Amino acid sequence: MLRSVKGVICQGPKLDSGYFLHASARAWLSAAVNQDVQIPAEKPRKVFRTNESNPANHAEQHEGQHYSIPLQEVNVVFPHGLPYRFQMQMKTFNESCLMVRKPALELLGYLKNTNFAHPAIRYVIYGEKGTGKTMTLCHAVHYCAKQDWLVLHIPDAHLWVKNCRELMQSSYNKERFDQPLEASIWLKNFKTSNDHFLKEIKTQQTYMWSKRESTEKGRPLGEVVEQGLTRVKNASDAVGVVLKELKKQCPLGSFRLLVAVDGINALWGRTTLRKKDKSAVSPEELTLVHNLRKMVGNDWNGGAIVTTLSQTGSLFKPRSAYLPHELLGKEGFDTLDPFIPIQVSNYSQREFESCYQYYLDRKWLQHERASTEEGRKELLFLSNSNPWQLERISAYL
Amino acid sequence: MAAAIRRVLRASRAWSAALRARAAPGAQTLRLIYTTTAVQKRNVAASGPEKYTEAFIKKQIEEFNLGKRHLANMMGEDPETFTQEDIDKAIAYLFPSGLFEKRARPIMKHPTEIFPKQRAIQWGEDHRPFHFLFYTGKQSFYSLMHEVCGKLLDIQKYQDRLRAQGLLAENRKLINLTGSRWLSKEELEEMLVEKLSDHNYSMCIQLLERLVTLPCCGIEEEYVLKFRKELAIQLKKMVIEPLQYDEQGVAFSTGEGKRKTSRATSVVYDNGSGKIIVNGVDYLCYFPVIQDREQLMFPFQFLDRLGIHDMVCTVSGGGRSSQAGAIRLASARALCSFITEKEVEFMRQAGLLTVDPRVKERKKPGQEGARRKFTWKKR
Repeated sequence: MLRSVKGVICQGPKLDSGYFLHASARAWLSAAVNQDVQIPAEKPRKVFRTNESNPANHAEQHEGQHYSIPLQEVNVVFPHGLPYRFQMQMKTFNESCLMVRKPALELLGYLKNTNFAHPAIRYVIYGEKGTGKTMTLCHAVHYCAKQDWLVLHIPDAHLWVKNCRELMQSSYNKERFDQPLEASIWLKNFKTSNDHFLKEIKTQQTYMWSKRESTEKGRPLGEVVEQGLTRVKNASDAVGVVLKELKKQCPLGSFRLLVAVDGINALWGRTTLRKKDKSAVSPEELTLVHNLRKMVGNDWNGGAIVTTLSQTGSLFKPRSAYLPHELLGKEGFDTLDPFIPIQVSNYSQREFESCYQYYLDRKWLQHERASTEEGRKELLFLSNSNPWQLERISAYL
Repeated sequence: MAAAIRRVLRASRAWSAALRARAAPGAQTLRLIYTTTAVQKRNVAASGPEKYTEAFIKKQIEEFNLGKRHLANMMGEDPETFTQEDIDKAIAYLFPSGLFEKRARPIMKHPTEIFPKQRAIQWGEDHRPFHFLFYTGKQSFYSLMHEVCGKLLDIQKYQDRLRAQGLLAENRKLINLTGSRWLSKEELEEMLVEKLSDHNYSMCIQLLERLVTLPCCGIEEEYVLKFRKELAIQLKKMVIEPLQYDEQGVAFSTGEGKRKTSRATSVVYDNGSGKIIVNGVDYLCYFPVIQDREQLMFPFQFLDRLGIHDMVCTVSGGGRSSQAGAIRLASARALCSFITEKEVEFMRQAGLLTVDPRVKERKKPGQEGARRKFTWKKR
C-alpha cells in the first residue's frame, strides 16, 4: 500500500508533494507504526529495513533501520555530497539505503520546529572519524529536499582550500583569488538539485560581468548560474552573486533555505595554496570562502544552517582532533558561536546488528564464517562498532 | 709365539706412536685454548695417550679452588659457602658480555667440566692391557653389555626360585619409568668415555628394555635408573595467579608481556563488553591498522570470550607491531586466571603464552646489514 501511494506522489510536481505528505503524514505514521511493530515478530531478518522512505516521518521506532531512497531522487537531491564509498556501495547494491540514527532524528526534530522568524540557527555535527557525520548531513538534506526547501549543499569545503590547479586573481576585488574550476563544478551540481527554484527567484540588482555582458535586475537566478557556467572566468563571482541573492531574499519568506556545509572547519583553517611568489594564501583571500563565510553568519532568517566538522580532509590537523574548538580554531569557533552541537558516535548494539544484517542480506559478506555468531563478534571487535571501519572490513570479506 | 706377541706389541707401539704424532700438532693448539666438552669435537675415545696429564688436571683443580676463594673475597662472600651459582653470578657481574651466544661468554667452572674426560692408559708397564676386553676396541661398552646381561640372568634365576616356591604372583616389583627417558647416544658416550656406533647404542637400549619387562626387575632398580634421565614437565613451571577483586566486586587479573623492545602490562576485568583502552586511548585510535587489532583479538577469540572482558593496558617501547604482540602476551597471561587448566594448556600449545625470542640481529662488520652483503663487484 505504501509503495503504490509513494509512486503516485513521485509523479506529481515537486511543490505539491510537500503539502500532500503533510496532510497524510498522520495516516501514514499510524500505518507505519502498525506495520513495523508487527514485522520484528514475524520476519526477524527484515528488522533492519523500513518502508518509510520519507524522512519527515522517521521517528524513534525507526531508529537503527535502513530506509531506501529511489535512485532518480538520489540523482536529483544528491548530485554531489554523498561520500565516495557510499556512492560505490550504491552502484554495487543498486539501491541507496541510509540508516536512521539518533543524531539525525534529533536534528530533524530541531528542523521541524524551526521558527522562521528568528535568525537561522547553526547546527554543528561533530564526532570521531568515521562515525557518520556526513551521512547525518545527507539525511537532513534529503529531509529538507522532500520538504521543498532550497538546499545549498557544499559537499566538502576542504576541496576549495587545497589542490587548486588554477588560481586567478579576482576581477571584482584585486586582493582576492578566484577558483574557476571548483566554482563551475559546484554551480553545475547546484543547478541539478534546485532547478525549479532558479526559475522563480529573481535578481534584485543588475550585475555587470564584463563590458558587454550583464544580468539585469528581475531576471531569474538561473541566468546567473548559466552565466557562471558558460563564462568560467566569472564562475566564482557567479557563486558569490547567488549566495548574496539567496541571503537577501530568504527572509522575505517565499522559500526556505538550508545551508548544508560539510567540513566547515576548512573555512577557518589554513590552505595549501600558494601565490605566485610562494607565500601562503589565507582562506579569506579566496572568493568562494569569503562568500561562504558571509552565508553561515546568523544575520538572516527563514532557514537553517547545518554543518559538519571533518578531520579527514582537513589540513594541518592531528588525526585525533574531533572536538569543535580543536578543529575550528579560535576564529572559527567565535564566528560560529552560538551553535547547537550534535554529537555522532559509533554504532550502538542495535545499529551494529542492523548494519550487519543489511550486509548479510545484500550478500556483501561472502566469507563462510561471516554469517556465524563468532564472525559477528569478530567484526564487532575489529571495527569497534565504528561505521567506517565496519564498511572497510566488510569490503574485504 | 713370543715373536708374534712382540710383533703385535711393536705394532701397537707404532700405532700409539703414530697417534701421538698425529695428536701432537693438535695437542699444541689444544694446550693453549681451554674449550668445553660441547664445543670440542666428540673425541671421547681420546685414542691413546692423554692430552692432559693427571698432574696437569690436579694443578688446574687446585688453581680453580684458589681462584674460587679469591673470587669469594672479592665479592665479599664467605669462601667456605661459595657455590657454583655464586661463581656464575660473580663472573657475569665482573665480566659483563653482550654476546648473544651464551657459550661464548666468560665462564669459570670446575676443570672436570671443562676438560674432556679421558681414559687413563689402559696398559701396564709390560704393555699388557688391564681389561680383558681391551682388544674389542670398545672395552667399557662391551663390559657394560656383559654386566647387564649378567643382571638379566640373575633376575631370571631369582624369578625361577620364586616360581618354584610359588610366590611369584605376589612379589612383582616393577620399575617406574614414567617421567624419564633413556640416555641419548651422546650421553651414553659421555658416560662410557668411548665412541659408539648407532647399532651399538640400539643394542644396548634393547637389552635394557628387555630387562625392564621382567616382572622382578625391581631388584636392579638403582642400576637401571643410572641409564634413565628425568624429563622436565613444562606446565609445572608456570604459576597461575588467582583472581583479584576490586571495590565493586568485579574480578580482574593482571599480566605482563614483552616482544622485541616493547613492554606491556594489562588488566583484564570481568563483566565487561569488549572495550579495550590502550595508554588511555581507545584501541581503534591507537591501532589504526587492522593487523594489530587482530593480534589483540587472538587470545579472546581463542577462548571464545570476545564480548565478556574489558581490558585496560599500558605499553611502551618498540613499534606498532611489537606493541601489539606485547599486549597480546600480557592479555593471554592475564586471562589464565579466568580459565581452566586444560584451556591454559591449549593456549600454551597455540603459542599464546610463549615469549617471542626474536630480536633484531646485530649488524656485522664487512656487511651492510645483519645478512646483506655489500654489492659484489667483479673488479
